[in-house]
Amino acid sequence: MIHLSNVEKVYRTDRIETVALSNINVRVEQGEFISIMGPSGSGKSTLLNVIGLLDVPTGGEVTLNGRLITSYGDRSLARVRNEEIGFIFQTFHLINDLSVVDNVEIPLLYRKMSGAERRKRALKALEQVGLSARVHHFPSQLSGGQQQRVAIARAIVGGPRILLADEPTGNLDSQMGDEVMSILKALNSLEQTTVVMVTHDQRQAEKTARIVRLFDGRQVN
Amino acid sequence: MMRHIWKLVWNRKRANALIVIEILASFLVLYAVTLVGVYFAHNYRQPLGFSYDRVWLVEIDWQRESIELQPELEEEKEAAMMRQLLTAVKEFPEVESAAAMSVVPYSNSTYSSGFTWKGRQVEFMFNRGTTDTAQVLDMHLTAGRWFTEADAAGSSFRPVVINRRLARELFGTENPLGQVVKEEQDKVERRVIGVLEDFRKDGEFSGLQSYMFEHATLGKSKGGQPNNFVLRVRPGVTAAFEEKLTGKLRSMAPTWGFEVKPIEQMRESTLLWQLIPLTIFGVIVGFLLIMVSLGLLGVLWQNVTQRTKEIGLRRALGATAGEVYAQIVSELLVVSTFGLSLGILAVIQFPLLKVVDFISPTVYFTSLVISLGIVYGLTVLCGLYPGWLATRVQPSEALHYE
Repeated sequence: MIHLSNVEKVYRTDRIETVALSNINVRVEQGEFISIMGPSGSGKSTLLNVIGLLDVPTGGEVTLNGRLITSYGDRSLARVRNEEIGFIFQTFHLINDLSVVDNVEIPLLYRKMSGAERRKRALKALEQVGLSARVHHFPSQLSGGQQQRVAIARAIVGGPRILLADEPTGNLDSQMGDEVMSILKALNSLEQTTVVMVTHDQRQAEKTARIVRLFDGRQVN
Repeated sequence: MMRHIWKLVWNRKRANALIVIEILASFLVLYAVTLVGVYFAHNYRQPLGFSYDRVWLVEIDWQRESIELQPELEEEKEAAMMRQLLTAVKEFPEVESAAAMSVVPYSNSTYSSGFTWKGRQVEFMFNRGTTDTAQVLDMHLTAGRWFTEADAAGSSFRPVVINRRLARELFGTENPLGQVVKEEQDKVERRVIGVLEDFRKDGEFSGLQSYMFEHATLGKSKGGQPNNFVLRVRPGVTAAFEEKLTGKLRSMAPTWGFEVKPIEQMRESTLLWQLIPLTIFGVIVGFLLIMVSLGLLGVLWQNVTQRTKEIGLRRALGATAGEVYAQIVSELLVVSTFGLSLGILAVIQFPLLKVVDFISPTVYFTSLVISLGIVYGLTVLCGLYPGWLATRVQPSEALHYE
């Protein structure tokens, strides 16, 4: 499903060259739940950004369902991100000026879809994460765990086959972290959604099928 | 998407309030100046009602201070001398036609009058001219005729020539010719013998006004006689004729003062004075708009910078660079619409309440459309660069922007 071959990411300025990723080879199959672990600065988030098409690698190839993504232009990448990938971030990235349901609708704004259909799908996604009672609340009125569940609803509202989660439990206490993990596990097992999760929490990583470890931008196993 | 943008702008109303106020203030000032500009342009396209080409003015100063002791006798002499002078002017081969009139085009003098007509007050500008005035000024009559010598013979009524606007005001759609205009206290009735297309004495930029001409006879007159001659010279007559003409007039009436000048010269000066305030306000508005634009640019720039994470998020969730760009500009248009709606509510009161009744609804509406166009255009222009900046940032960088 996702195939990274000899992926390299180097940040260059006039003076310094920083190697963020070097010779990364990862294959993630449909329906897998894997975690990426490593110390701070090891390149975990960069790798997730490359997989999620938010960043362009300076070397190597990224293949998604047999399509070579590295050659795609902005419009095509946006479409793949919109239709095939869902993102969950450590800091939730909710828009505070929009209600819960309006936040969840955002990915659907970039599709040809009626307002009524968007609303229907957003409410269904919120129901899936157990937030039906909070649809008209604003993010500031919710707890951290609830905010992350809104972010998960936003990630799944478009029916993506891949979920990319960047330290989804990093800002939550252990109980809320477990709740979030159980939602991700359910999505993976019930809907065969592929989940790639970056974490530095060994306990959460052990709940996944496979762990990819990074150190100084290199893959270590 | 538009609903989403409206919602976003509405929920950020506090943050957007300053932009709304800025847009509202600039719109109101721009609208005021545009209104004057459009009013001038609208007037410029209206018929002037006369021609100033090759028309000269002879302004006569009777030096009346010296004749105050016997005004009756002196007025008789004065009238006789005026007739002789007019005849002398007409005899010059350089002169095509000449006439006397009270208020000449582009002069600073005005003579307004008014009366109660069918229970309402009618105001109009008033003037007197001799039989050749219409010919000299090439005044266009749409109905009836100008004054003739026969009108001077002392009829039971005073013949008057009015313009179309006054005709409409007094008689509506009825034929104004032969209609009697008489005030309750008037002993002599005025009867309409002709209708002028118009007579916009103050020139091209002046508004349409109701106008009435009475016949001037250069005799002893209750209403006073004209102290100006207007003459149309033949083509090719140069400024040297001015001296020749003045010399002749001075030789006939040595105690009187004469000033001769082409009407065109007076026209230039009048139009210049009318345009100066508009130009000054135009420049002020120009600077104001530049300041507003820079302010908007700064505010939007800051706005885009503050929303870098949100822009990154939208890109991550599937927005293309073009969609982000369109959203920034659309949001600005929505914010502008809030400000402009308040502005429209304010300025629409002028035509509704008829605050300035000489400005037509067309002028109000045209000014509104132009001002809206300029403010919308300006805000879009100001949103282009910050919008473009928003599309340049990589989604991964934007999401981690601090």
